[in-house]
Amino acid sequence: MESSSGVRKWIEADESAKELLSRVLIQLFLPPPLHNFPFRLGNVVEIVGPSPSAKTHILMQAAIRCILPKEWKGVHHGGLDHAVMFIDLDCRFDILHFSRLLEHQITIAEGLKFSEEIDRDSLGGYVKNLTSMCLRRFFYVRCYESLQFLATLKTMHTKIQEQKENHGVGIHMLIIDSIGAFYWTDRALSSLTLGDTNRKGLSLQAVSDTVVEELRKLLQLHPMVILTTKTVNLQGRCLKHEIKSVPRNMSSRDATFFRATRSKPENNPYREYMPSVWQNFVTHRVLIRPSDDENQRPPIFSSEWLLPLLNRTDRFTFGDNVILTVP
Amino acid sequence: MAPLKSLEPDYPIIDSNFQQFCASHHIFSVEDFLLHDIYALELSTKQHFDSKRLEEGISVVRTIMEGLHQPWLNGMELLQKAQGNKHGISTGYERIDVLLEGGLFQGNLVELVGPSSSGKTQLCLKVAANVAVNNLGSVTFFDTGNSFSPKRIDKLLDQSSEPAKIKTEEVRRRVMDKIVCQSVFDIYVLFDLLHQLKSTLKPVTGSSVQMLIVDSISSLVTPILGSGAHGHALMVSLGFLLKELAYEHNLSVLVTNHMVGAEGGHLKPALGESWKNVPDMRLHVSRDCKSNICSMSILRHPYITAGKAVMFSLK
Repeated sequence: MESSSGVRKWIEADESAKELLSRVLIQLFLPPPLHNFPFRLGNVVEIVGPSPSAKTHILMQAAIRCILPKEWKGVHHGGLDHAVMFIDLDCRFDILHFSRLLEHQITIAEGLKFSEEIDRDSLGGYVKNLTSMCLRRFFYVRCYESLQFLATLKTMHTKIQEQKENHGVGIHMLIIDSIGAFYWTDRALSSLTLGDTNRKGLSLQAVSDTVVEELRKLLQLHPMVILTTKTVNLQGRCLKHEIKSVPRNMSSRDATFFRATRSKPENNPYREYMPSVWQNFVTHRVLIRPSDDENQRPPIFSSEWLLPLLNRTDRFTFGDNVILTVP
Repeated sequence: MAPLKSLEPDYPIIDSNFQQFCASHHIFSVEDFLLHDIYALELSTKQHFDSKRLEEGISVVRTIMEGLHQPWLNGMELLQKAQGNKHGISTGYERIDVLLEGGLFQGNLVELVGPSSSGKTQLCLKVAANVAVNNLGSVTFFDTGNSFSPKRIDKLLDQSSEPAKIKTEEVRRRVMDKIVCQSVFDIYVLFDLLHQLKSTLKPVTGSSVQMLIVDSISSLVTPILGSGAHGHALMVSLGFLLKELAYEHNLSVLVTNHMVGAEGGHLKPALGESWKNVPDMRLHVSRDCKSNICSMSILRHPYITAGKAVMFSLK
């Protein structure tokens, strides 16, 4: 009977547990210094640090890991085989440097030297073909102001769907460099008043609310990992000379509190300036800063996970354009 | 913030009915759409009798939004675009060209930082003369401190590598014609001029170079950088406007900045932390007092490590 086949269909499984886990539990293992945690789709990772530190380079390495295939023509590359979308708010991305890093990453693959299929002559062809295949999985846009950024976010859903249909490779990583780029211009917009008080004015709060809202909706439709950077000014060392000078008209109780907060840079290594709606959206946060010895070549950086809090600091440096951990 | 009314002639579906519907949700311009939840708006159209037409209107607004941002490019397209700019613009000083691996590049915003009379203006003039004499393209020079002088350019042309090229008066005039200088003493005037430049720039044909020099940008920004967020906002938007001109219109932009005192008696670049991130490349110039030997070091570069330095002679 029809109803019994309908009931049977309802009881029958849609997918096995294995299929469910492989669909939901996609974990992304990123290169150092982001190697401490496997990231799941829906995580929002914020890389915080003063300028200049290696933040954009870290993003490039993560993107390269993502766009490389796991294996190509018999050679193992260890990539994640996904597409990446890169929203550049800092507008300083250099594609020539990126493609050089990608080529370098391809040529250091272990199996390349021993592969019999690829002899010396066609090594160049192999690298070229793989590079162009990977670069086609990398999507890039620049935004010069908040309105452009909002317009990009609002039209991303159609773009991602179009991409999926044309290329078949899913997008699992969204990179935003850097989220605080329009902080000053948006802050100044707050003072523009509009006649109708019910009308949402363009302000830092409104922009941040909309950005977080759009990203949340995007994550529901297309689960992915969001990597962003944020440039901050480090406190502590820089403010040592300010500890002594307390504002004259502060009461003595406030003055002791003032001195106490200033002299403990470990609690607050930097001043947070993004609105709390963004801060609460972030699920992982790592602080990158240059090591104290500024004259060391190549420069050494330290990474410290603030969220979730790991009480240890890793050090890393650049060796041959690749990020290596330093003991 | 153009009101929705202004879109009606081009998009007849955005008629007064649609505008009224939007007004009921406090949306009066496309920018207001950007701050609103479009999905919720689409749901609310179902309550209206002509929901189909309103939905069509919303999808037209979506296509308008796609035109509000730069187009998405994939890595290969980006690479091809960048490889078109592979050859650098020679600065006229060979050692600097070697340090920068080719010289100045189109699509970049380069900042020259140095104390006063360290050779920044001289460098700007030399680059301008070089671009003009080697027929590379045209130069727009925004001068904020009356440091531009045609006589100095003339002298530099004399010293250029091939003086035979510019023997005749006519040739010299043609070369000088390529350099357009404008005095600017106000940041708002600079904004105006840059917007004008943006709207009049035609797509660059062939290998013609367009160079934009602002000497010095710090003298325009420092007066407005006082207390309050407005100064910083103006500075950052000026930076982004210059970057947009450089990248989207393929100019090579060079700006100069002076130095201020920092803790410990050192000097640091003016304009503060918020400006630090704006230029693609920051170069520090300093001069040995009383001599013509200068040193240039890299403060920030997309891929060359900071700290690399080179000495060069101003002559």
